[in-house]
Amino acid sequence: MPTNTLTINGEQVAVLQGESLLDACAKMGISLLTACHDNRLEAYGGCRTCLVDLDGAPRPVPACKTLTSAGMVVSTSGEQLETVRATIDEMLECIPAAALETWTDANRFIGYDPQQCIMCDRCVRYCDEIMQCNALEHVGQGVDAFIQPTQGDSFLDTSCELCGGCIGTCPTDALYSKQSLKVFNEQSDAVLSSTRTVCNYCGVGCVIDIESQGNNVIDIDAQTGVGPNDGHLCSKGRFAWQFINHPQRLTKPLVRNTESGELEETSWQNALSIAATKMLDIKQRHGADSLAFLASSRCTNEDVYALQKLARAIIGTNNVHSCAAT
Amino acid sequence: MTNSIAEIEQSECMLVVGSNTTEAHPVLALRMKKAMRGGAKLLVVDPRKTWLAERADVHLQIKPGTDIPLMNAIANVIISEDLHNKQYVESLTEGFDEMKLAAAEWPVERAAATCEVDAGDIRKAARLYAAYKHAGIYYTLGITEHVCGVDNVRSLSNLALITGHLGYEATGVNPLRGQNNVQGCNDMGNNPVYLPGYQEVADGAAREKFSAAWGQQVSEIPGRRLDQMLDGLHDESIKAFFVMGEDPIVSEPNVEHVHVGFKKLELLISQDIFLNETAKIYADVVFPATCFAEKEGTFTNSERRVQRVRKAVDAPGEARTDLQIIFDLAKELGHDWGKAQPSKVWDEFARLSPNFSGINYARIEESGIQWPCPDVSHPGTKFLHEGAPIRGKGRLYPLDHIKPWEEADDDYPLTLSTGRTLYHYNAATQTLRNEGHREKQPKSFVEISAEDARELNIADKEEIVVQSRRGSIVSWAKVSEKVRKGVIWMPMHYAEASVNILTGDGKDLKVGTPEYKLCAVRLHKP
Ligand code: SF4
Ligand code: SF4
Ligand code: SF4
Ligand code: FES
Repeated sequence: MPTNTLTINGEQVAVLQGESLLDACAKMGISLLTACHDNRLEAYGGCRTCLVDLDGAPRPVPACKTLTSAGMVVSTSGEQLETVRATIDEMLECIPAAALETWTDANRFIGYDPQQCIMCDRCVRYCDEIMQCNALEHVGQGVDAFIQPTQGDSFLDTSCELCGGCIGTCPTDALYSKQSLKVFNEQSDAVLSSTRTVCNYCGVGCVIDIESQGNNVIDIDAQTGVGPNDGHLCSKGRFAWQFINHPQRLTKPLVRNTESGELEETSWQNALSIAATKMLDIKQRHGADSLAFLASSRCTNEDVYALQKLARAIIGTNNVHSCAAT
Repeated sequence: MTNSIAEIEQSECMLVVGSNTTEAHPVLALRMKKAMRGGAKLLVVDPRKTWLAERADVHLQIKPGTDIPLMNAIANVIISEDLHNKQYVESLTEGFDEMKLAAAEWPVERAAATCEVDAGDIRKAARLYAAYKHAGIYYTLGITEHVCGVDNVRSLSNLALITGHLGYEATGVNPLRGQNNVQGCNDMGNNPVYLPGYQEVADGAAREKFSAAWGQQVSEIPGRRLDQMLDGLHDESIKAFFVMGEDPIVSEPNVEHVHVGFKKLELLISQDIFLNETAKIYADVVFPATCFAEKEGTFTNSERRVQRVRKAVDAPGEARTDLQIIFDLAKELGHDWGKAQPSKVWDEFARLSPNFSGINYARIEESGIQWPCPDVSHPGTKFLHEGAPIRGKGRLYPLDHIKPWEEADDDYPLTLSTGRTLYHYNAATQTLRNEGHREKQPKSFVEISAEDARELNIADKEEIVVQSRRGSIVSWAKVSEKVRKGVIWMPMHYAEASVNILTGDGKDLKVGTPEYKLCAVRLHKP
């Protein structure tokens, strides 16, 4: 690939053709503030947060939307630049007045707070470019502008797939997860933490961050540039986590009462001992191959390795399989 | 997958067979969407008009169960129009002549009649697939859940081999795994004929290695596949069943028959996070387990990438991790394996499995590694078969049409096909517990073509009975352009309208995968 050399803040940097000034700055360790930019989307240059000075240009240029070329001389700081940036900050702060009365929606996942919206259109562009669902639109202009599901319908009735990618890309809290808001407890002083792990639904294996407050899951999110998913998630991965803290979860071992036929709670010691005794008894009477083991393709590698080892090394049978061998 | 998910973006042509990718593997489909934006050609083979099918350059809306005739015809066009990669075929494959002869039995016009698609479309698809270098095949359950599942897959690998579409980026033959750790579960040897790392039970040296490592003799008797285990319930050769995180009476076909078998069991042990249907009725002992968010370990995704799973929250009540439960049970059975430590278990597996030996927790702390990865200096493998097929020469198979186990007839004139939807997952024990997902898709439905609906006088949203030779369920009609005449489609997720009551005993003749995808049914009003 052809490369170009340019000068940023007096230092030289080599970049690949097609890379933007924002990429070039990143290579030098300069992280410019951005708002409308998401490197998974086409460059937009709408918010002007990332302005830099370019020699020969009449006014500052947006770094995210300006392609590099050989010999460019760029500066990322300076008095004039600071003044322009301050003005832009103010503009972004300003609340679209009419938008205060925009929609609320029946769906349980996606909420919108127009007061936080800076009209950067990242959500709309995400939905158009990445999801190709065209389920969001930018309505009105200037201070009257807001974002809504296409034609003002409910998310539940449009082509929206409830992926929540619009929430993921939103640089403010304008688009938010309703589920998270519901379970997040402002009063609680339980520790907030974030744990990087892998989605438990399909075989794509998206890398996710589970946000938790004490022992409660409060959100699932993903980071751009991480894992096979590059920050994208689907509806299941992002939103289907209520089962984790669900009241129907099993919390105690159960054994069947042979007289009543009912399952009853018991101690671990008792459950394990009944299971082991019966397994050994059956092995003795009918042979190892009369026992069968079904592993879950939902469990971890370590779990299922241990299960087949138990079957093979302790019971002495190769009767191990899983439900979805596909 | 022979190839990697990120590579899909570089595709010039994608052949998507029996995979409703945007619903079953939504985030992988985003890469396909990106490739399409970049101008990649899209060929879709599916009896249903899926999101991708609607946007495809060619959609071959075949009659369900006719994949082999179609693939044979495509191979036939490629060979007879001299579009195959002669050099690759000559030096790196075997069985070309037999395969060519078998394919020649399926001239385009004959296949078009059998598959009920346009002959011109078959030609167009064949030419496009052969024309581009970065052409990959993507398939899923739509292709494997048939009596001829194994041959279906072979019919696809035939296409890749004759065109040499193997061994570099954005190409190959790529099964998309339905559940998160199907890949890992197979890698770990949860298979009656494979020990961990795909080392065969039949191989004496492999058995010796594991026997020595485990201090116990590994049996040389091959084990039973799931379908054979279930058969064993009926003839009472299986007396005890240990079921980890699965719900066979909901997920296995021909439910009534499965019930009869389970009644005969002496011992059923269930280990799960919820009290599932099987456990409710049949379990003698139930161990409360933990979900993915409550434990440490690894999953292996479809592209063979081993990634770290980490504990975010504590398990509820006295629930224990699955690994702990198995270690506890081992101890109770007289074998003390020591402390249940996931990283140690992984290391034991990796030490015994050459293709995985280079992977350890420290190396995958930041990001996952794709096996094969034989040693710790190996970066992992993005795509397989580089330079040449792994086994030296790629095997081409002569294949012929195998009729479905049950075909529509006068009594049961419609073909039922089943699948997943975007908002739910398998038996939906997890997603149906999410209010928002239940709302978007609260109940079971039957997609039916407008033509069939008119003939049967069925209105949209009307309650209807779906009946097969095994049983019947109640559902709601959804008149849809997605299905073709003669075919109806139902999601598999709803316990109250479990489609497995309808499905039959058909299974793949070679590996026993149940034929979930089709059976013959009729519809009537309740
Ligand atoms: S949830 Fe996804 S599909 Fe729906 S509007 Fe947001 S980005 Fe578009
Ligand atoms: S909702 Fe968020 S992403 Fe969308 S325009 Fe407003 S600030 Fe930007
Ligand atoms: S987020 Fe969606 S696509 Fe990604 S692994 Fe989970 S279920 Fe699959
Ligand atoms: S971030 Fe560059 S213009 Fe918005």
